Parts: sequence; C-alpha cells; structure tokens
Amino acid sequence: MRKIQSMISTSSADFRRFDRHNRAMLADFRARQEAARHQRPERDLDRLASQGKMRPRERIEKLLDPGTPFLELSSLAANMAYGGDSPSASSIVGIGIVSGREVVIRADDPTVKGGAWYPLTAKKIVRALDIAMENRLPVLHLCDSAGGFLQLQSEVFPDKYMAGRIFRNQSILSKMGVKQLALVFGHCTAGGAYIPGLSDYSVIVRGTGAVFLGGPPLVRAATGEEVSVEDLGGADMHTSVSGTCDYPAATEEEAIHIGREIVAQWDRAKKWDCQRDAPEDPAYDPQEIYGIVPDDIKKSFDMREIIARMVDGSRFHEYQPNYGTTLICGYANIWGYKVGILANNGVLFNDSSLKGGHFIELCNQNNTPLVFLQNITGYMIGKEYERRGITKDGAKMIMAQSCSRVPKFTVMCNGSFGAGNYGMCGRAFDGRFLFTWPNHQIGVMGGDQAANTLAEVKINQMKRNGGGVDEAVVRQLWEETRAAYQEQLSAYHSTSELWDDGIIDPVDTRNALAIAISASLNAPLADPGYGVFRF
Amino acid sequence: MSLKLTLDGKVHEVSIVRRRPHLVLRIDGQDHELTELPAEGRGHASMAMGGHAVSFARATVADRQLLRLAGRTFEVGTVDPFSKAGAGGASQDVVRAPMPGAVISVHRRAGEAVARGEVLVTIESMKLQTGLAAPRDGILAAIHRFEGETFEKDEVIATLEPQVDEG
Repeated sequence: MRKIQSMISTSSADFRRFDRHNRAMLADFRARQEAARHQRPERDLDRLASQGKMRPRERIEKLLDPGTPFLELSSLAANMAYGGDSPSASSIVGIGIVSGREVVIRADDPTVKGGAWYPLTAKKIVRALDIAMENRLPVLHLCDSAGGFLQLQSEVFPDKYMAGRIFRNQSILSKMGVKQLALVFGHCTAGGAYIPGLSDYSVIVRGTGAVFLGGPPLVRAATGEEVSVEDLGGADMHTSVSGTCDYPAATEEEAIHIGREIVAQWDRAKKWDCQRDAPEDPAYDPQEIYGIVPDDIKKSFDMREIIARMVDGSRFHEYQPNYGTTLICGYANIWGYKVGILANNGVLFNDSSLKGGHFIELCNQNNTPLVFLQNITGYMIGKEYERRGITKDGAKMIMAQSCSRVPKFTVMCNGSFGAGNYGMCGRAFDGRFLFTWPNHQIGVMGGDQAANTLAEVKINQMKRNGGGVDEAVVRQLWEETRAAYQEQLSAYHSTSELWDDGIIDPVDTRNALAIAISASLNAPLADPGYGVFRF
Repeated sequence: MSLKLTLDGKVHEVSIVRRRPHLVLRIDGQDHELTELPAEGRGHASMAMGGHAVSFARATVADRQLLRLAGRTFEVGTVDPFSKAGAGGASQDVVRAPMPGAVISVHRRAGEAVARGEVLVTIESMKLQTGLAAPRDGILAAIHRFEGETFEKDEVIATLEPQVDEG
C-alpha cells in the first residue's frame, strides 16, 4: 500500500482558521461532556456518600482491568432533552475489558433522580443490549435505579422499543449464550427487578442492595403489610431464601471482586479471523484533522486528508482511483485491522454509486469490515441523472450495503443530508457502531434550503391572498425556520436522541474504531447473499 | 519481483534467484551467492559474498537507510515502483468540473505560477462548495469559467501550460 501524499499546508491561513474553529468546538464538546459526567447537585452526592455508596464511574473504574481502555458510548445522550435533567440519559454505557474479556458495561446513575429511567434511558439501555447481541459481548449490569420516571411513564413503558425491550433482549442474549452479570448496588424496583432476575449471574450488596417488584410503601398501600427493605428484598433474603440473587457481598468493593471472579470463569467467544498486520501510527499527525475540516458545512475538503490521519502508516490502497471520483474507496489498516473504507468526496453520481456498491461486494467477498466516512449532500439530482438511472444506481449501493455480511462502522465526519445517509450506512442500516464528530449536521436538507423552501411557500400564499408581499414577515419566518432547523441539525441534537453511539474527538476516531472493530469480531460473519439488484 | 535500489545516485536492479541452500541475488544481471556470518555486535555485521567476507554496518535514520562499507558511508534509496501520475488522473494539464454547478470565486489569473494542491477556483453545486486545485506545479494557462457562470460535469474549468520535459 502507498502512503497518501498530503496536499495540506499547515501554515496556510485556512488551516489556521479551521484549526481555531474546530478546537473551540472541541473545547465546547469537552465542557459539555465533563458536565454530563461529573456535575451533580451536592445534595445527591452527599446522599450517596452517606449510604456508603460509590459513584457509578468509580464502580466502573474498579471493575475494569487496570490500564485498559474504556470506550464510553453516548456520553451526551439526552443532553437536549428534559431541560438537561438527565445527563448521559442517567446511564453509563461502554465497552471495556474485565478479567481479560471484552464486555459491555451498563450502569444506572443514582446521582440523578435516584437513577430513575427516563424514556431516553430505556432507549440507551436497549441500544447497549443490541450492541451486546450484534457483537456477542457479555453484559455487566451495575444496578442502582428507582425504576421508571413516573411523570413520563407513557414514553418509558408500553411500546415495542421501550423498557420491555430491555428484558426481551436480556432473554435473547442468554439464549444466544452471551452471558450477563448483574451487580446489585442499590434498589431494583418493579421492572428493574427483572434485570438481576434475567441475568445469568447476580451479586447483591448487603444493606444497600435490594430487589423487589413492589417496595415497602407500595406493599403497605396494597395489602397493609409492614415490611423492611432487608426482609422484603435484601441480600440475605435473596441469596439464602428466594434464590433470586446468587452471591451476597458485604461491600460494593467486595461485590466488584466477586463479579470479576465470575467473569473470569466465562468461556471466550472465538473471534473470526480478520486480516491483521502489526499496528502502526499514522504518518501524518491526527491533530491536523482540526485544520482540515472547514469552518462551514458548505465547504468541501478532500477526505483522503482525513484517511491519511486515521489509518496505519497513512497507507491506503485506493480502488478505482479515476472512476466515480466523488466516492473514495480503498483498503487500509486501523490499529492493524484490515478495513475497506468508503468516504465521500462530493455528491454521489451514477458512477460513484456503482463503484461504492461494487467495492462493498468486494469487501464482503474478501471478509473485510467496512468503514463509512460520511460527508454527503446526497445523490445527484436533475434530468440527465434521472434518465441515467441515478435512483436505481443508488438503490444498488443501498442493497449491497444493507445486505453486507461483514461488520460495518460509520463515522459522521461532517454533513449527512438526504438519501446519501442511507447509501453510506446511516443509523437505520445496522452498522455495528456509529460515531459522530462535533461539527456534524444531519437532516433531509440544510437549514438554508428549508428556510428558502418555506419562505417561498409563504410568499406564494401572500400573493394568492391578493395582498403584497410583506418582506419583514418573510424575513422573520426565514430566520425562525433556519434557527429551529439549525438546532435540530446539530450533532448535539443527534446524539441527544441516540441517533449515534456518541460524539467523539476526531483525533480519537482511529482508537474508537479499533475498539469497535475488535469487539465486532466476537460475532461470526452473517450469511452471504443479496436481494435483487436493479440493473 | 525485483527491487530497484539507488546507491550514489545510480539505480541497481536486485532480484532473488533462490534462497536455499544459499541466498543468491541477481544484481544488474549478475548472480551473487551470499551467506550471513555471525553478527559482530554494535550494529556491525558481515557476510560471505562469493567466497570473500564483507564487513559492514547499517543504520536507519528517519526515512534514510545508511550503509557503512569499506571506510565509506553510502545512502541506499529505493525507487518507488508506482508512477507519480498514477492516482492523479489521465491528464495533468486540465482541471475539470467534478459535478455540474456554478463558479463562486476565481482565485488565480492566467500566467501565474501555481503549486500542486493550490485552489484555483471555488465552485458550488448541490449545496457544497468545492475548491478545484492545481493537479501539479505549473503555470496557469487559462481560466475558462468565471464568477456566476455555470458549467456541466467534466467541463474544463482551468488549463495549465503544458509541461516541458526536462529529461
């Protein structure tokens, strides 16, 4: 493979301006992430300390093998929902290594409203368990939750992908032979009780841990029975009488040690044999990405410059370099793992769509995982392109992509507008992981286009009604539409709604991808085959 | 597969004829039998070449390969087997529109010297502004589309003066 020859001048005015812009954007992201992770009311932290409990992140830290990385997912979930009342959607999810095994860790956050599940908490947990299923990763549940957030119960409880899905996924995981361990640090009430109930193994802490379908107040209200937490669902009752939990622990620390010992007994999934070479740093500094991604979503940039700062040795074997040039396809290594990369360098035309579809088939034939780097404004429109069958060529790319048997990974590097999102493995296409950069924007169309469209409708309406066109009204509508649209387009909105697996620092992309690829190899390749391609 | 190496600026072609029982290399058409001798330490090594023992030291400094032999230091280079033009496109003299659109701004004028990768014209198409860059160092011969003008895909937007072959 050949080293990409960068054409970037790090001393150019553009580079310096973009670098300042993107670093400021990153500082904002870091500040939001820091707040979501650690900023809590003093009162909640004091209550936790007085109960002798650790903070959830301390628990995770003690659980992980020392010196190993933890890939936290969706750290800014729910950041734009519920008035900011549910940082990280009151839940911590990530991939880490415990007793030498790659696992999904999922922890309730008792420092937020007693760990109550908001609608987006349920969505985040369901996604965590989907990740476990798709990649065959054991799950460690760190339970400490008051149950569903009652004020919003209609959005937590009834529908297919709400809280019930958590327990359905738990059952299916167990059937698939993917182990689950529940560490009960606090209360597991009502539905939450089924988390340890449906885990293959469970540990419960004496004094603070409890599992019951209805807590003491509910029992009193329903039957008049007076009963203490310990008697109703404490550690000793469940580990010696009911058999709902397996191991009692005197302290949280001890529970973590027992948990690590349990995980150490588990068999390891056989990873499939992905091509690997010795890992190597990129030849170009990944920090230079900040100076390459422009300060305006409308400005394009050469995605080869990003690839050069993401892959081993900056080496890239480019496929069909002179055909369908608005889609870059080629092989590279990320931390040693061989991957096939598809990256947008402009609008998708007929030839670039066909090239993309063909390259996806090559990667499926070659057992090579796919990495999609999105910066896409859509498929080309216009009479000439429709006559050439841009729709059916785009459909071929979507077909090949959807039916891929190799794991897929997507990085939202900049814009993701229109149907290009689909061809490039957007959220709906079951990629194993989807990461987002802070500058990312996503929508059916851009803010300017939406505002223009609505303003035009308004002007026509005014004309039809016989009156003159009130420029001020149109201007105001334009501004308001654009502002509302702009907020919805932002990466923060996207990640708040869990349309991704989290915003990451662009520089960390190759590390996040490597952890994700390594995790994905635990699941065997899917069956080969495609649907009917429209030729 | 053969390898092209440079030594003192001269290109030598090296290929492996066989590995066993002794390594035989064909260098510029002539076969040489080589046997590695035990290392002497401190970066020094030796080998037997056609019955003679040869002592040498080698070092890698950044991207450079250095060889110390017979009281002299040589730099060994490898010739990249890929052509320079390979990924650049069929013609290096013209800048074509990658998609239909309109010119937003023109940055350089005909007659000016431009460097590879330098943006000559910025276009907009499908909500996206794209800088069209010079495919190589050279003199800008002409700009064919100016601010506000539209164009079709593959239209020539700028031309460079033809390259004079110095070799």
